[in-house]
Amino acid sequence: MPPKDNGSLCFSAPWERQAFGIALALSKQGVFEWDDFRSEMISSIAAWEATHDKTDPNWDYYEIWLTVLEQMVQRSGLVDQSTLGSF
Amino acid sequence: MQRFEYPNDRETVNAARVRALEALLIERGVITGDTVDKIMAIFATEMGPFNGAKLIAKAWVDPSFMKLVAEDTMAAVEQMNFVTKGAGAEGEHMRAAINTPEVHNLIICTLCSCYPWPILGLPPYWYKDPSFRARAAREPRKVLSEFGLDIAPEKEIRTWDSSAQIRWFVVPERPAGTDSFSEEQLAALVTPESMMGVAIVKPPGA
Repeated sequence: MPPKDNGSLCFSAPWERQAFGIALALSKQGVFEWDDFRSEMISSIAAWEATHDKTDPNWDYYEIWLTVLEQMVQRSGLVDQSTLGSF
Repeated sequence: MQRFEYPNDRETVNAARVRALEALLIERGVITGDTVDKIMAIFATEMGPFNGAKLIAKAWVDPSFMKLVAEDTMAAVEQMNFVTKGAGAEGEHMRAAINTPEVHNLIICTLCSCYPWPILGLPPYWYKDPSFRARAAREPRKVLSEFGLDIAPEKEIRTWDSSAQIRWFVVPERPAGTDSFSEEQLAALVTPESMMGVAIVKPPGA
């Protein structure tokens, strides 16, 4: 099935949209630099691709996004690790 | 008595993670409950493919503007007065790849999903798919054909990889039969897919 079959869909669930918007909000407020966030995305995606087949249905772009976002927030010191780690 | 269900489903877990993060950020006063909605509203009204369509329609009717789009894309974008500020780095260093009768252009991002937000809005889901990204770089003709776009064998296909440095978009060819069209009418023909290079702009009524 060609990937384009889902058309112009940008988010497949509300949590993806929230995770996207939170990352933008935090970079706008200077909690982290957008460039740093994107570098983390690039290395996390590269790490996933190095250990999975490119057609692996378990691929989840926004799950990677969310994990990077949590890491960036932890690193900023805004929220301590134990609080986020409870999930 | 209701039994506690542990959220073992991935979607449920991820949704809970986002809720927890958002709640903490609200509690710390970093964001408010409507921050995300406000940000997403910008994409609905100010940063989207409707901007790219306007820029392309102008380039089609004004050869000097087309030249500027090709040679100094950011200067051309500035003339359009689009909102680029909210896009941060995704709105900087945008470049246009111009389709011609000899060359068809396709944009991808092999590293993640770098995308010219002010011109195209948010990337569709499939743009981020690892298999699409890898294959579009390796065998663009075949991938385009799967998208329903058969490029003539004699036509060259150039693939442009967006990156932290440059975010590409495609200026499609103006379709035949549109000589009498206004800029507004032309803009209405330009689809997001055509600005990514996975489609062409079809003549009206086709």
